[in-house]
Amino acid sequence: MTTTAILASTTLVAVAAAVYFFLRERKSRSNLTQSEEDSKKREASQAQVIHTTKLASLGQMVAGVAHEINTPLGFVKSNVEVVSDLLSEYEAAVTKVMTGVDLLLTLDASMVDRAKAAIQKARIELAKATSLQEARELLTDSAEGLKQMSSLVLNLKGFARVDRDGMDSIDLNDSVRSALTIAGHQLRDRITVVEQLGNLPKVKCMPSQINQVFLNMITNASQAMGDEGTLTIRSVAKPSFVEVSFEDTGSGIPDDVLPKIFDPFFTTKPVGEGTGLGLSIVHKIIQGHGGAIRVKSQVGKGTTFFVELPLAQSTLAKAA
Amino acid sequence: MDDIFVEKPLRLLCIDDEARITRALKALFRDCQVELCNDPRQAVAMATHFDPDVVICDQRMPQMQGVDVLRELKTASARSMRILLTGYADLKAVLGSVNEGEVYRYVNKPWDNADLRILVFEAARIAREAPVITVDPISEQEAAEARGQVGVLVLEDDPVTQQRLREILQSHYQVRFANNAERALQILEQHETGVVISETETSAGDLTGLLKALKQHHPHIATVVVTERANAQLAMELINEGQVYRMLVKPVRMGSCRLSVDAAISRYWKLKRNPRAIQRFALSAAAAVPQTGPVVQDSLMARIRNLPSRIVQLVRFNS
Repeated sequence: MTTTAILASTTLVAVAAAVYFFLRERKSRSNLTQSEEDSKKREASQAQVIHTTKLASLGQMVAGVAHEINTPLGFVKSNVEVVSDLLSEYEAAVTKVMTGVDLLLTLDASMVDRAKAAIQKARIELAKATSLQEARELLTDSAEGLKQMSSLVLNLKGFARVDRDGMDSIDLNDSVRSALTIAGHQLRDRITVVEQLGNLPKVKCMPSQINQVFLNMITNASQAMGDEGTLTIRSVAKPSFVEVSFEDTGSGIPDDVLPKIFDPFFTTKPVGEGTGLGLSIVHKIIQGHGGAIRVKSQVGKGTTFFVELPLAQSTLAKAA
Repeated sequence: MDDIFVEKPLRLLCIDDEARITRALKALFRDCQVELCNDPRQAVAMATHFDPDVVICDQRMPQMQGVDVLRELKTASARSMRILLTGYADLKAVLGSVNEGEVYRYVNKPWDNADLRILVFEAARIAREAPVITVDPISEQEAAEARGQVGVLVLEDDPVTQQRLREILQSHYQVRFANNAERALQILEQHETGVVISETETSAGDLTGLLKALKQHHPHIATVVVTERANAQLAMELINEGQVYRMLVKPVRMGSCRLSVDAAISRYWKLKRNPRAIQRFALSAAAAVPQTGPVVQDSLMARIRNLPSRIVQLVRFNS
């Protein structure tokens, strides 16, 4: 429960930060002409939708990480209690020896032999006690578990960009890996992930938005594949842009559906499951970065999405 | 520690692909005989050889799902009580574990050491004391006799589902319908009933408290839950606190419904012959104390307690 609380508060901080930056952005652009005002309003509502979707992906992320954390948390929590018991057991064995020693020190000569025998017995018991060794092993495991949990929390922070929203120059491969960790629980045991990530120059972008795009691509692919499949993620540097592609072996998208997939509110999922905003937001974000998104699909074979982000960010003013 | 484990220590088989989890369990149960299995594909062979009292199995493993391991252990290690340990409850897995794996309890990671020890020791005591009820169906002749004597109660106020169940069951069993808890109790008082098919709620309110109370006092009656609002949390709660026998999601399918009711009647009939086995399906004294969810009215509770017990020598549970 504590984990959930921590994750929930992390989410809250992330949301608060997002809202703060969003409001600050709006305020700094207050003196505008009427037409500019209209287009600002439109952009603001788009930004709001982006943030709403971001909340949804944060929720998904929190659920995923909570799940990943439960396993290490399970054994660390148990180990800590057991180690405490083991120490008590060892302490009892030591106390026995010490009681004998104390007795020996105060005894007269006639009793020494009996006391010695008692100490010897307690001493052998102590030598045989495995509690300390067991405790050490459990602590080694626990340290490893804590390391797993820290890296999960770090990844969560990195993905949500809690402490540094805004523009940054990043290696898109890091974003891919980060999104893969967050989506880990929905892929594991089901989807084989193949990473073919090339050496990339850094790209200037809004990392929190790009992370969201990649998570969305991975989630869509995972949902398209049902019980098993392969997701191949490739990244490659071209002269003027970087391309990241997501290829799944899923159900594919029929020709009549393909032209509509980036339309807002278009969804093929049952009512209540999809908002139909996922891909339209992805499209908006990539457009805002001056990039492009393309799709290639064959029914029954699978779908590949290509995301291109330009190296020189001249059109970036529109991004957020 | 309990007396019956002094001479022959409790035997526990732990299955999890994560070795740190199995090592932690081994340390927690260091006064027991514990075998660890980090590859679920070897679980059946190990269980056959080791003959565990209790099996603790993880749900999500790369080689095999916990539900599938438990399904195989149901026959390979029929005597053992099976506990599913999981870090994440997805509905499909929970439904599979009850419907196919006949899991005894569902435990969430991170677990509570003291609670887990109580649960495992209690399960082991049952595994040793209570005879096994086989899963194979009873003979056609016995089945006919059982159907003539033992009724099925449907507690549900949705006319569509009522009609659907009537079509599926009417020609095979003595089916009686109740729209509310009050009417259901009347039927239970008047007729020997082996299976209760119930929604988790009616328009009049929640039924889970009633199902749990019924199980607490009459564990031999099998509960088949038919529900629309299926979620993993509720399903786990109904397994752990209500020992439901099967959980079906609406719309009810003919095949799975018939199979479930047949299996439930068959189990009831076997328990009637072998009442000592009932404790395998009963709620533990520990689980019976503070339950989650809505409480049952005192008047209903008294009637549940006083329902005629139609199984010979029925041991009183948690009374």
